[in-house]
Amino acid sequence: MPAAANVNASAAQLLDAHGLTKVYGNLVALDHADFRVMPGEVRALIGSNGAGKSTLIKVLTGAIMPTSGSVTLDGAELPLGRPEEMIRHGIGCIYQHSNMAPALSVLDNIFLGRQPTRRFGLVDVKAQRREAEELLKRYCIDLDLDATVGELPTVKQKEVEIVKALALDAKVLLMDEPTGWLAASDVRRLHDTIRLLKSRGVGIVYISHMLDEIFTVCDTMTIMRDGRVIAEADVADMTRAKVIELMVGDRLARESSAAAGEARHPRGNGEIRLSVKGLSRRGMFRDVSFDLYGGEILCITGLIGSKRTELMHAIFGSEPRDAGTVEIDGKPVDFRAPGDAMACGVGFVPEDRHRDGLMLGMTVTENLVMTTLDRFRRLFLLDRRGIEAASRRSIDDLSVKPADGRKLVRQLSGGNQQKVLVGKWLRLGPKVIILDEPTVGVDVGAKAEIYSILRAERDRGAAVLVVSSDLEEVMTVADRIGIMVSGRLRSIHDTTDMSMAQVVAEIGAE
Amino acid sequence: MSALSPNIATRLAPHALTIAIAAFVVVFSVIEPAFLTPDNLVGIFRQVAMVGIMATCMTFVIMTGGIDLSVGPVLALSGVVSFFAMEAGYPLPLVLAAGLAAGVLVGLLNGAVIAFLGLPPIIVTLAMLSIVRGSALLLGGPDLHGIRDQPGFTFIGTGSIAGIPFSIYLFVAVSLLVVFLQKMTPIGICVAAIGENERAAFLSGHRTRITKMSLYAISAFGAALAGIIQSSQVHTASATYGEFGTELDVIASVVLGGTSLMGGNGSVARTVLGVMFLGIMNNGMNILNVSIDIQLIAKGAIIALALALAERG
Repeated sequence: MPAAANVNASAAQLLDAHGLTKVYGNLVALDHADFRVMPGEVRALIGSNGAGKSTLIKVLTGAIMPTSGSVTLDGAELPLGRPEEMIRHGIGCIYQHSNMAPALSVLDNIFLGRQPTRRFGLVDVKAQRREAEELLKRYCIDLDLDATVGELPTVKQKEVEIVKALALDAKVLLMDEPTGWLAASDVRRLHDTIRLLKSRGVGIVYISHMLDEIFTVCDTMTIMRDGRVIAEADVADMTRAKVIELMVGDRLARESSAAAGEARHPRGNGEIRLSVKGLSRRGMFRDVSFDLYGGEILCITGLIGSKRTELMHAIFGSEPRDAGTVEIDGKPVDFRAPGDAMACGVGFVPEDRHRDGLMLGMTVTENLVMTTLDRFRRLFLLDRRGIEAASRRSIDDLSVKPADGRKLVRQLSGGNQQKVLVGKWLRLGPKVIILDEPTVGVDVGAKAEIYSILRAERDRGAAVLVVSSDLEEVMTVADRIGIMVSGRLRSIHDTTDMSMAQVVAEIGAE
Repeated sequence: MSALSPNIATRLAPHALTIAIAAFVVVFSVIEPAFLTPDNLVGIFRQVAMVGIMATCMTFVIMTGGIDLSVGPVLALSGVVSFFAMEAGYPLPLVLAAGLAAGVLVGLLNGAVIAFLGLPPIIVTLAMLSIVRGSALLLGGPDLHGIRDQPGFTFIGTGSIAGIPFSIYLFVAVSLLVVFLQKMTPIGICVAAIGENERAAFLSGHRTRITKMSLYAISAFGAALAGIIQSSQVHTASATYGEFGTELDVIASVVLGGTSLMGGNGSVARTVLGVMFLGIMNNGMNILNVSIDIQLIAKGAIIALALALAERG
């Protein structure tokens, strides 16, 4: 590890990106970023969403052309903006979502899409096999070349991708959230492979939200924020809290203004609406217990990957749980499907409004009544007039723009789509409403509107449970804050007792 | 003028099918005045009644992004089952119930496998096509079974009321019923929601699996009813009726009506237009004495052209 920390030995640098800048219109996505990787170094690239990590990676894979800056590999300057050149010179990338041909064999996948110039049009199967076997031996990777990729476990598929990159003589491997879909034991296995690659002199860029993994497998780290590289350090010199502080940055300073002036209602009206006891799901979350009161907003925060979304689905009955009980108003319930939860007055605004939330090709009105269609049934007829009236009320209450129920949801802006999504759940009149990242991808104005909707729900006596990774949001709306770390609900605090710095420290703690 | 034409095109696009039908009617009646006689027009409706019933009943399935390839054999099975029920001496209502129930059972089976096991509709109903054809043959053998001395049953396919064949009344009744289901009951919104975004519909509390299963039963019901009309019309039941190609006419009608095979929005009323379009085309070419080989080629080309235009529109 100390060898890798030798940052100023410029001669030994494997990858050197200098002054990378990418401007989109008024937005500076990447601002004079410098990035270096040494041979045999595992370097973490860290930053919250929108920090510029993806832009940097896209420049390195050639997917986008930077506005200015240069990249050298082994001292040779690379032509930018051309993916095939980056691969040819030895920059490989393992993407978060596998992009292999699942029906083909491991061997075929390793050589898929390779330059045909060496093969004179014909595939030399024997030579391919020999080459692949040599690679596997050199990097001590155990793979059956004839297995079908789609039938392999995910961790093996990652290894195939790694071998595929190595077969193209990759000197630098970019790994984007490589453990996103892996179980804990598989993560260890992948980390062993990474250590082997490292010992063979491959430079690795490890992009992950999982601080645990970074502290386990990485030597050095580069932290980005707002398009800039704001810190480079040896992992050994850093603490989790320090890393998160750097990631969050000046948002700490804004804390006082955001939190000031809001009356907090921890434990609301004192009546427990939702009680979760010992909820567990293997490989996801373990032994989660908490009480949610009417008239309060409880925010559950944590790093991406702390399994908050899965926990919410388990409470709502849309995903399974292995153990534990859920009570509504003191009565045990067993939700097998969302409809069961809704019958008990529980609503759930999911995170991904396009995938899980809305029917984009249907009208605003149809979307707004989606959760309450049964209420507009007169015998077996649909009460069109009642639906129109209800839709108009919702559109007014939420100030959806344009205020026209006949518009297709696809035609609305992100913020207005989100208001329709929240609105369709408010129509249920829920006594418990769960919202998963309710302001993702909406502008500042719509954010403020959604916050006032949440407060209005609380003030009417609803129990509001919000999952949010946005600490500013948490400090703004929460009456109490729950902190989730690696699938465990670590603690719950009254917001008045916490500073953002304390929350940050807890999120990063293990 | 060229600046105006795209504007006109976008305005006319939703009515393209109506315009095409009108154009065919004009062209056929100019070339051959016999086309416009009342007898011929009634004949067109009579010819499309069976495909029409199947197409309106399959529209919901296609709106959810599914498909039902098994309608041909279901048609045969329902006829054969009805025949044996008549042979056994059951009264007409029970005979019809048996034929329809056989079809609905197949539909429920299709739907259960698709909705609850999550298998792709095209595979499930393709397998069912084979299974049901085999079952019908097992039951009825390869022979034609003559239906004699069954005035009630025969009336369904051959009788008329006020000069209009009874099968047309059935077609109109089924169409109105399915249009009613789509427009006036919550089913229409549920079906569209599943086609647009099944996961979001599930997370909004909809019982998506039960709904999907029922839709395949509706589709099979249509095929079973068509089977009863067919057997009644030709006074025979056979396990070989509803031969290969039946399902293609049905699916083409639905898609010509503007329902996307990818699921989402669609309209039963427009499916009826699609049915009429195909029926008028067939009839017109018959009247003009176009030979069957050319008819098949022309029909395929027109369907492909119409779909290509719909995709762009």
